[in-house]
Amino acid sequence: MAKTPSHREIFISGLWRDNPVLRQVLGICSTLAATNLMVNTLVMNAGLIFSLCMSSLTVSLLRNVTPMRTRMMVQVLIIASYVIMVDIAIKAYLPEISEALGPYVGLIITNCIIMGRCEAFARNNPPLASLVDGLAVGLGYALVLIAIALIREPLGFGTLLGFKVMPPGFTPWTIMVMAPGAFFALGALTWLIRSLFPQTTGLAEGGR
Amino acid sequence: MKSRLLSVGFMFLLTLCFTAMVSAVKVANQDRIQRNQELKLERIILKVLRFGTGRVSDRELSELFKTRIRKKEVEGRTLYLGLEADGRTLKGIAFPVGGPGFWGPIQGMVGLDREGLTVVGLAFYSHSETPGLGGRLTEDWFQNQFAGLKLPAGKEAGPIFELIPSGRTKKPGQLDAITGATMTSKAVERFLNRELAFFRDKLRPQAGEG
Repeated sequence: MAKTPSHREIFISGLWRDNPVLRQVLGICSTLAATNLMVNTLVMNAGLIFSLCMSSLTVSLLRNVTPMRTRMMVQVLIIASYVIMVDIAIKAYLPEISEALGPYVGLIITNCIIMGRCEAFARNNPPLASLVDGLAVGLGYALVLIAIALIREPLGFGTLLGFKVMPPGFTPWTIMVMAPGAFFALGALTWLIRSLFPQTTGLAEGGR
Repeated sequence: MKSRLLSVGFMFLLTLCFTAMVSAVKVANQDRIQRNQELKLERIILKVLRFGTGRVSDRELSELFKTRIRKKEVEGRTLYLGLEADGRTLKGIAFPVGGPGFWGPIQGMVGLDREGLTVVGLAFYSHSETPGLGGRLTEDWFQNQFAGLKLPAGKEAGPIFELIPSGRTKKPGQLDAITGATMTSKAVERFLNRELAFFRDKLRPQAGEG
């Protein structure tokens, strides 16, 4: 394993250069499902960032004592525990948003970003670096979700965070509320970002 | 062999730790989650009976519910009887309704006046219809148009209400359907007519007694 990169490098890489959604195309399911209202998106982001940071930190702390052959089980156990705690907290303190998000908070467990970071980074790196990595990748994910919600909520409902933002007489684009609208928004955004900022370092394109 | 035992032991201990943590969080919040669900139902009941609960805090809401609502079981269904401020006179009757929607079950609450003859309020509180289409069934314009719907005595032929495309001239008993959500509109029409007829024929005769 190569030397641990500096925290700054880890941060930029997770947030932007290897952005989990735009560059690695991970975590797409929740990107499509939880972006039609900004409020839901923000809660979803907070849930994911918390789960990801805590999972990365815990996996990293246990990295020297975890027997190799049990590492997947250990990771799933850790991730699932944190996500269930997040789910319980949202149910208890934000019941309305919990209903709007439906099963998607629980489904953070299967979000490939978390498992991916635990397996690819946290199990080989010290705790602080893993925490920074989790935070950066989580913020990278959050950024893309917010960008998509910024497209979908105004076009689909004519509102943003519940406030009217479109001119009166605006006809909401129903398709933006539904999953296909998210596909269009995500596709357009990915295309735009990748065209404007072609990948120069890191993994080669394709083969994923 | 030894390393295998070690793996099993490690896994066992770790599972124990994390299960304990999750359980602790669950136990600490269980009451709150249950209370949230009760509050949601209480708010809906008070709303459809027109108790004016627009900006009432949770505490005031459950106080209002405790003093002004009585439960009553009739024919295996729960009726919620709303009382006037004196705590005796009947103000209205609410009862839960539900049925299959387009994607999943829809649940709601209907409020009627004290004779149970006229609908005064209706609210849907659980559904899985498409957001922005069928999901608009929780919007005020859709729910409020049910207020004033009459349930006259006697088994008449035909449905109690119909949902027809908006913009057409309405006869009594004809309400606006949700544009672009034909399946949801049809589903609501089907189960709500059935539930209202069930109330009219089976529940209403026994609602006022006792």
